[in-house]
Amino acid sequence: MLTLERVAQRYGDNLVFKNVSCTLEAGSVTLLVGDNGAGKSTLLRIMAGLTRPVAGTARFAEPTLKIGYLGHATFVYPALTAFENLLFWRDSHGLEQTEEDIFNVLERTALAGRARDRAGTFSRGMAQRLNLARVILQQPDIFLLDEPTTGLDAKSRAMLHKEILLAREQGACVVLVSHDLAQAEPLADRVFCLEKRTLVEKACSRRKQTPERPCCA
Amino acid sequence: MLRMTLAILRKDVKLTLSRGNGLIQALLLGLLLVFVFSLSQGIGESLSARNAAAVFWLSSAFCQVLVFNQLYALEEVNQSRLGLLLCQRPIQAVWLGKAATGFLMLLLAQCVFLPATIVFLGQNLSGPLRPAFAVLLLTDAGMCALGSLLGALAQGQTTRESLLSIVLFPLLTPLLLAGTGVGAQAFGTADPDGPGAWLGMTCAFDAIFIAAGLLLFPFLYAGDD
Repeated sequence: MLTLERVAQRYGDNLVFKNVSCTLEAGSVTLLVGDNGAGKSTLLRIMAGLTRPVAGTARFAEPTLKIGYLGHATFVYPALTAFENLLFWRDSHGLEQTEEDIFNVLERTALAGRARDRAGTFSRGMAQRLNLARVILQQPDIFLLDEPTTGLDAKSRAMLHKEILLAREQGACVVLVSHDLAQAEPLADRVFCLEKRTLVEKACSRRKQTPERPCCA
Repeated sequence: MLRMTLAILRKDVKLTLSRGNGLIQALLLGLLLVFVFSLSQGIGESLSARNAAAVFWLSSAFCQVLVFNQLYALEEVNQSRLGLLLCQRPIQAVWLGKAATGFLMLLLAQCVFLPATIVFLGQNLSGPLRPAFAVLLLTDAGMCALGSLLGALAQGQTTRESLLSIVLFPLLTPLLLAGTGVGAQAFGTADPDGPGAWLGMTCAFDAIFIAAGLLLFPFLYAGDD
């Protein structure tokens, strides 16, 4: 579904990573881990098409595949209500979902009770849930989630994990960047680590340890 | 593309009018200009029609700078710009949506500047109004096409107000000349050539600025910081 070929990125003289190659399949969850500054968010932005790599390519199986990106910023307009925010993103993406569908998504993200409240009055966690609602509304083929649990409480994290598993079940390709290996690893079909400026596949509970695929701990 | 354009137009109009401060600042700046120029007249004197028309368009140009700064600043909150880039729609929809919102805001501001010009600068609308109105709409369209393009260029810069003004004003000169020429006729100055030549020039510059917007906007409004 998404193929990275010898991707490299640098900021000024600082090489972030090089020779990053992998193929991500439909109906899978890929966990991307690495130290702070290893380039996880940069790699996700390259996958989303928001950043151009200095070398290599990120190719999609089909150009019409829908990408849902959840980054550090929430893309929320504080002066609009939660419902108006989703209505705006629906129209901007050219989606056909009805207003009832929007309420259903707000229900799934536990925001239905605050649908008519301005997003500016929301806590960080609620804004993040609204951000997630935006991504769910898109029904993307590829979910790119950059530390999506930021600001979420335990209940919301459980809801997010449920949505990730549902997306995988429906055939989406999910790429998850997380620091919380203990929480995220059980969800993952594959684990990649950005270390020593390149991407290395690691063993996880679903893929056994081999010499080429060492333990991710 | 049209649906995304309309979504941006609706959202921007709602945010600008609900917050108000952006438009009010622009209105106050324009009105201040008209008022300050009115102080240059002695008692019983009035500014020439051409000067009054120039002041009107100067107010509009300053107002436009503030309007487009504010419109593009809306996308800087929570980095919604990235969300727009991910919409997988022609990104020119953002340029068009912002230009359309700016056009409405500028027209709204001019509904205030025109009476202020008449009252404070001692003018009356005794000339041909139909061509003047046509040139006003065309000049506004060109100003907004260019303003929307350069607003994207200046976004995210700490010096965006000055950057936008420095780049915008020289490029706007032909349109402001046309607006002033036809405005002077509307205020009663006789011109043997009539408004036809100005009208043609305005259309030509509108076409250039619209083409520039459609072609250049994707390069200015990108994901890389």
